[in-house]
Order: sequence, then C-alpha cells, then structure tokens
Amino acid sequence: MSTMMFAADMERAETSAMRAFRRVCEAATGLKLDDYQVFHDFSVGSFREFWDLLLQSSGLLYEGSRDPVCTSEDMEHGVFFPDVRLNYVENLLRHADADPDRVAVRACTESGEPVVLTRGELRTRVARLASALRRRGVVPGDRVVALARNTADTTVACLAALSLGAIWSSVGTDLEAELVLARFKPLRPKVLMAHTQFPYQGRTTSLVERVGTLTAGLQSLELLVSLDQDLDVGVPGQVSHGAIADLESEEPEARFEAPRFPFNHPLFILFSSGTTGAPKCIIHGAGGTLLEHDKELRLHTDLRQEDRLFVHTSAGWMMWNWQLSALLTGAELVLYDGAVSYPEADALWKLIGREGVTAFCTSPAYLHYCRDSGVVPKEQADLSSLRLMLSTGAVLFDAQYDWVAENVKPLALHSISGGTDILGCFVMGHPELPVYRGESPCVGLGFDVRALPPPPGTTGTMVPPPSEGLVGDLICATPFPSRPIGFFEDADGTKLHDAYFAEHRGVWTHGDRIELTVRGTARILGRTDGVLNVLGLRIGPAEIYHVLQEFPEITAAMALEQQAPREPGGSRMILLVVLAKGAVLDRALTLRVKKALRSKASLAHVPAVIASVSALAVTRNGKESVAAARAALNGHPVRNLGALRNPECLDEIRNHPALRLASD
Amino acid sequence: MSYAMIRAVVVEWLDDQYHFGDAEKLIGGNDELSFLDRAILDSLGFVKLVVHLEDLYRIKIDRKNLTRVNFDGMKKIVTYVLSHKDYRGPR
Repeated sequence: MSTMMFAADMERAETSAMRAFRRVCEAATGLKLDDYQVFHDFSVGSFREFWDLLLQSSGLLYEGSRDPVCTSEDMEHGVFFPDVRLNYVENLLRHADADPDRVAVRACTESGEPVVLTRGELRTRVARLASALRRRGVVPGDRVVALARNTADTTVACLAALSLGAIWSSVGTDLEAELVLARFKPLRPKVLMAHTQFPYQGRTTSLVERVGTLTAGLQSLELLVSLDQDLDVGVPGQVSHGAIADLESEEPEARFEAPRFPFNHPLFILFSSGTTGAPKCIIHGAGGTLLEHDKELRLHTDLRQEDRLFVHTSAGWMMWNWQLSALLTGAELVLYDGAVSYPEADALWKLIGREGVTAFCTSPAYLHYCRDSGVVPKEQADLSSLRLMLSTGAVLFDAQYDWVAENVKPLALHSISGGTDILGCFVMGHPELPVYRGESPCVGLGFDVRALPPPPGTTGTMVPPPSEGLVGDLICATPFPSRPIGFFEDADGTKLHDAYFAEHRGVWTHGDRIELTVRGTARILGRTDGVLNVLGLRIGPAEIYHVLQEFPEITAAMALEQQAPREPGGSRMILLVVLAKGAVLDRALTLRVKKALRSKASLAHVPAVIASVSALAVTRNGKESVAAARAALNGHPVRNLGALRNPECLDEIRNHPALRLASD
Repeated sequence: MSYAMIRAVVVEWLDDQYHFGDAEKLIGGNDELSFLDRAILDSLGFVKLVVHLEDLYRIKIDRKNLTRVNFDGMKKIVTYVLSHKDYRGPR
C-alpha cells in the first residue's frame, strides 16, 4: 500500500472551482456528490448532463443551443454541441476587459529580462497580427504552421491565427527539416511562421537554412512570417515574407475581432508518429479543447487568477497547447525558452523563485536530471510561491515523490497523463484529494476510464473489486468532447478508427497500460503498443525505420523501449537489427546509423544501444511482434508465445550482452 | 590505467552519445579545449558523462566539484578521474 505524501489543503479546497462546480451539479441533480467516486460516476453515467452543466457554469462565451449535448452514445461518431458556436481565442482573452493591466504572459530566456505582456497588450498584439494575416488572405480553415521557440511572439502568432479560424500546428526547433516536412507537407499550409535563430546554452544557432528548406518544400505556402528578425531565406517568388513586428505595425488601429465558429471547428493539428507510415495529423476541435482544458485547468488543477503557471515544454509538445489554454483561468503563463541547465544546473528552480511561479509542470526526466546533478532546489532557490507541481511525459517513479518532498518542499505533486491524442489528461490531480506516492490522484471527470481486459469475475468498470486494483489496457468507454474530430485527409474516418477504435469495438483504446486502485487513484504503467517514450519524448519507430532504409547492411529492424531505472525518464531505446549476409555490426556501422538518425531525425531518435540479432520475433501470420520482443527485453513473461513462429529468437534478446543494463 | 586509456573512454562515450564518430575531430587534439564553449557537451551531457564515469570506475563524484574549473575539457575530466581517491580502474 502506497504512502500518503500530501493531504489536500481543505481550506483552499473550500473555495475551489471544483467544489463550486460540484455544488452546481448537486443542485441540478439532487444527488449527493461529495464522494469523488460518486461524482465521477455521475460524470460518465450521465455524461450529457455533466458536460451541459460544465459548459453552463464555466463562464465560457458561446452562442446557440446546448441541445443536443451529444448526438450519439457511440463515442466514435457522437458529436458534442453541434449547435453551439464559439471562438477559442475570445475565451482565452476575455479577462482583458476586466483588468487589462494585469500580466498575462512572462516569457523568459536564458539571459536578460523576461518579455512581459499584459492582458491588454496581448490582445492588442493578437488583433494587429490577425488583421495583417486577414489582409493577406488567411481565412478560416487555412493551416498556419510554425517552427517555433516557446516565446511571447509564438503565443501571439498562434492566438492571431486561431482568432481568424485558421488551424495552428507547431513543432519545436529540435526537429530536423526532413521530419518537419513530413509533418507539415500533408497539411498544405498557407502560412509558415518561423524563428530564424535558436539561442541555447549561451550560443545562438541559425535556423535560416532549415527555414529555407521548409519554404522550398512547402509548395502551398503563400506567406512566411519570421518570428524574430526578417531574413532572406531564399523565399520562392510566390511567397511573401515579413517579420512579425513589421506585420503588427502595419495595423495600428486594428481591433480584436472574434468571429464565432462551430463547436467542432478545427483548432490544432498535432502529430503522432506510430510504428508504421507517416506521422498521423490529429485534428482537435475548438470547443472540445476549450471545455476539456477548462475542466482540467480550472477544476482539477485549481488554477486561479493569482496563479502563475510554468509548464516546461517546447512549442512542439501538446503541453504547449495545454498551457496556452490556462489563459482561460486568468492565471499568468510563465514561458521559458532555453536549456534547463544554463547558466547553472538549477536554472529552472531559480526562474521559479524569480518569477513567483505557483504551479510548475515538469517531467520525470527533468527530476532525474536534477537528482543526478546534485541540485537541491530548496537550498538554491526561493520556492515560497510554489504550491503545486505537475509531472507528465513518462511514468513518475515512487522515489521521485520522495525526492521532491525532501529536496523541493512538501507540496502536492500530481502525475498527470493523457497525451497528444486527446490533447488532455485522463488522470490528474484534484484539489480535494490527497496525493499517494506513485499514484495519480484521480481519473478526470467525464472520462470513463477502465482497465481491459478485466480479471475473471469482475466487470472492468471504474469500481474495482474491494481487495485489489485493476490492471489492463487503458480504454475510455463513454463519449468525451476532446476526442479528435478526425485525422487530416481521412474523410471516411478509417485512420481514426484504426488508431483508436479497432482494438476494442466501440470504445477508445489509448495505447497505455493502467492500474486503477481501490481508492480511485491510478498508475500509468507504460505503453501497450510499439510507440517509444524516451526521456519523456514520444518517438514513432516508423521515423527510425525510414532513415534505416538507406543502409543496405540492415534488412530488418525493431526499436524497443527498455526499462532502465538509472536513465533519465527511466528507460532507454534499443534498436535490434538483422543484418544482410556478410554485413557486420562493427563500430563504424553503429556510428553511421546513429549519425544518420541524428542528422535526419533528431537526437531523441538515436538509440542508446544497437544490437544485432539473427531474427526478429514474428507471429505465425508473419507480423513482427513488438510486444513479445519488448517483454523478453524487459524480463517479463511473454504473453503470446504460442502465436510466435520463432520463439527461440527471444532467448537471443534475453541473453544478448549488449542489452544488459549497467546494474545487471 | 593511463591518461590515454581514460581519454579513449571519454571519446568513445562522446561518439556514442552525441558526435557519432566526430568527437576526436571536434577536440582537434587540444585537450585543454572547453567542451561547453565548443558545444562538444552541454551541461545535461556533463551529468550523463559523470554518471557513466561513476558506473565504469566505481567512484562517486561530488556534484559540488562538477564545475567548469574541474570538469570542462578533456584534460580536466581525465585528471579528475585519475586523482579520485577511490579510483582503481574500470569494473
């Protein structure tokens, strides 16, 4: 049984939006919902009433009828609020009227003073840039893509595009041009926003060549907006270009306009690279994102106007989109662009102290780094403002709860998990619930999360048997508004179906393994599919296999995640390769493979170990079995042994000297 | 265990982790070169290298000593390991 690490602050909980919303639900239904399990059961059992009450009481700006709430019980096809219209950006900037001088964004870098934008300044800049984009022909539904750092300018650019009804899609500066093009090209974007330089670790790297490659490779492009300085990157004749500051200065009189669009108007496109094929372009709708983030940020995270939220993220991770929505709550966003360890290992903790951060969202990999580098935050920074920490991107190990309690301060540490696919969190915190070591405090309201398959004799529902928890594949069995509205260029929904609804008919299959405990908490146990999570970054093996095609020495390959407690993030990437006849995996070939992955993908795509094997595990149907190989690699029982054509190859993995961990 | 052998271990690690065959070229025969200034290693990389050396040589490196003065450059790294009180060679 896990230890309670932190009891809920009941005085604060009394004034929380979660408590107020619960009372709204109690008044509307006549139910007593003070037990969270009962409240949660209501939120999924009466999901239409729940989402309707949430929209009603949220303070979100919208028009139209809330009826119907959802067109179907079938989560693959049910559509939420088809007669509601709203504007995502209007909602994010709505606090500017009440208090325009209050700070909205603090954008920090490795050096120098932060760029501070008040609510009024942010709205003015968004209005000016939106006006300039409109004048250049940007219309609702156009794709605006970005190669961006996490700066105030990126925030302005994104909000400007979205306010017009354009669709935003961004990647961070860590991705090389080939991978960026693989993501952006299918979208046929009209506008590319790009930073042209990248300061990191005290040095500045030029991105001009990469921006030039993108500009030349995106034939649909009509406009290039530099997010810093205007540089000639060899822009093709049909593409106009300008710097963001110049575009804004063209429109000094622009007023903020926010035309309202259907609830399910596309908002963001995020990317998920899987085990085969090109990255999937996941489209998230405005209303679903807005309502889900309102629930997660205002209710579950209890963000308030006086909060300052710092999410350690690049502009290419879904957490960037997530933190942007915190403007909804009136809280300030604290952004950071740069290395976590510059000028010193404790840089982020010093930033927290300097900027008065109250809620800090980080990752297990970063906490691991802090431990390894000997950082003791409580001794090196003023953490008096900090009241809450969130961790996401990978499994947060029990010992990391202890490390935070001992080295940061006793505070609520919420392990939150969901991801790109839902642009939100299935499991997260709750202002009225305690934190247990190694466990997420609860399943989010409105998410009918279950563990499948259930053990014999149980139902597999949220309510587990009394003596033990449930472990299984994370599925969600009731419609929710932040389900993606589709994949780009997937008109009949085949790709969406195959990705989420094919494995367990009629319900969402997420690809994670979960434990639901008897007290209603949850543990995410890792992926069930072939997607890798290295250093908290999600890596699609397909992108690795694509690069390996240029190596005639390699006839087959399989990338796997190996649990490695001493590694940041708790795991490392292994690449098994089958060599062509006569080829040898010597050091020269190993380094050539790594170098190719680094230059054509990213450093995160480089495996820790490349090991030669005589064959990959294959099922009797001829399909490679990642699950069997991964189980063998991690010393777990192989569940589908009988289905394998060549089970003997697993012994080669188990006994391979290159695959032993340092502590073995 | 000589300076040259520990140096080779560091070069091999740099190649495996970050430079994939180019580490020696980047160092250019100048063991006094700052790894940080020349972007051969960033501070995250330093921590990973330290953990690797601790594992390999069964030594414990006090993080308070992980400074530019002690660690930023090939000569400093190798000299630090060689002079460590618990240093006995590799596992």
